[in-house]
Amino acid sequence: MVSKDKRTPYEMAVQQLDNVARVINLDEGIYKKLKYCKRQLIVSIPVYMDNGKVEVFTGYRVMHNDTRGPAKGGIRYHPDVTLDEVKALSMWMTWKTAVVNIPYGGAKGGITCNPKEMSNSELEKLTRRYTSEILMVIGPEKDIPAPDVYTNSQIMAWIMDTYSMNKGYVVPGVVTGKPISIGGSLGREEATGRGCFFVILDACKCLNLFPEDSTVVIQGFGNAGSVVAKLLQKEGFKIIAVSDSKGGILNTKGLDTQKLIEIKKKNGSVVDYRDGEKISNKELLELNCTVLVPAALENQITEENASRIKAKIIAEAANGPTTPEADDILHKKGCFVLPDILANAGGVTVSYFEWVQALQSLFWSERDVNLKLRDIMQRSYKEVYSIYCDKNKKINMRLCAYALAVSRVAEATRVRGIYP
Amino acid sequence: MLKKIDCIVKQTKMDEIIQCLSEANVGGVTVSEVKGFGLQRGYTGDKKKVTKAELLPKVRIEIIVEEEEVEKIISIVQQLAQTGKVGDGKIFVLPVEDVVRIRTKERGELAIK
Repeated sequence: MVSKDKRTPYEMAVQQLDNVARVINLDEGIYKKLKYCKRQLIVSIPVYMDNGKVEVFTGYRVMHNDTRGPAKGGIRYHPDVTLDEVKALSMWMTWKTAVVNIPYGGAKGGITCNPKEMSNSELEKLTRRYTSEILMVIGPEKDIPAPDVYTNSQIMAWIMDTYSMNKGYVVPGVVTGKPISIGGSLGREEATGRGCFFVILDACKCLNLFPEDSTVVIQGFGNAGSVVAKLLQKEGFKIIAVSDSKGGILNTKGLDTQKLIEIKKKNGSVVDYRDGEKISNKELLELNCTVLVPAALENQITEENASRIKAKIIAEAANGPTTPEADDILHKKGCFVLPDILANAGGVTVSYFEWVQALQSLFWSERDVNLKLRDIMQRSYKEVYSIYCDKNKKINMRLCAYALAVSRVAEATRVRGIYP
Repeated sequence: MLKKIDCIVKQTKMDEIIQCLSEANVGGVTVSEVKGFGLQRGYTGDKKKVTKAELLPKVRIEIIVEEEEVEKIISIVQQLAQTGKVGDGKIFVLPVEDVVRIRTKERGELAIK
């Protein structure tokens, strides 16, 4: 979340809810309910490390809301994981699943640990013990974890196995982001990038921008960024600059994404691409371009550099790349921001497809997955954009996306009522 | 899964498209002369809507392929049929329940190979 800000991530999430509540005239009682997380579970996870000693880690699983369906959200392994952050992220998941209108609530989990310093067997023990400790709150009809920061399909497979062993039967629907061999979905790997690609096309159409005249800059060439680059280039956009943690590469005549992907795979970075000049990540953001895709870290576009950003569209493939202060500056400048909860919701959408396929034990072709994803992304974009137009473009797309999401959860809460 | 790719294109583009489809080893094509209107509404100049729709002649090319082939075929037709102006046509993709080769009674994928 925002580094300079003294507020905690959860306080910021509540602040965001406050802003939306004003825009949509949210009922006070429902606001109060939505402000709090439904359940917060803290567990300690003892693990025999490879050196024979016992270490105890702390893990969390927070469910913010399950009014619209079982809760959904990733599990992250990171030294900075705190309960406060997990709470904020779980609330954020509630809004994200509501924006794309998939029948899920929001949850998040995490373990405070440094996976980079742990062996595979330590990670397996950590994962299996954590799963056992949160076993009573997760399940295909309750709360479905997924990969997040430093967790991958192998870790999801261990969670699925541990849960299944405890239940006594195989439960593939307990977790998503699994390997294909145990019920993972085709198209899941590319889903975040592909979802982002679809909303970029929609935005270009709304702004009367044509692929052939459009240039694209992408910060971050990982799972999301490289897919967006590949798909946009196929559509006729000119990719003029990309970067990763080691730096960026620029060629105003256009870069070859296929070559970039190969170089990234071989050398670990795009900076070795020959046909272009090297630039820094900072310079890259301020390049003259039509579409800017921040697909790397949080807090890249701040009040410091926002006024120098020249892109017409910013598509947030990463989570939280733009700070709230920068948001205001960009909106005043007329820069069209596709907010993260919309632009990177392709990941959770195909997670939802994976869960649906697991429940019905019937699997779809990759083409089917991609088409269904496109329908959901296009519909969601249209719904957010129509709020934007209704409000005479006076509030930014982020607030519109939140307004749509919170309204959905609020309506579900109202109609279900407060128990008892 | 079998799919039908239904292409409505400009008459002038037909020969080249058929040639390329044949080179791409599609099992067969069905071509018909059709009339219709789209965004163009019969207007032959730039992108401008007129109120009264006039029907313009187009060519319809129907191809049945396996699902995995769909994107390849779409990109062939798309590239060859595109001029960048209104009136280039449309491509529709539809599911096909079954195919029967009348001569041999073969069904499904076997019937298009």
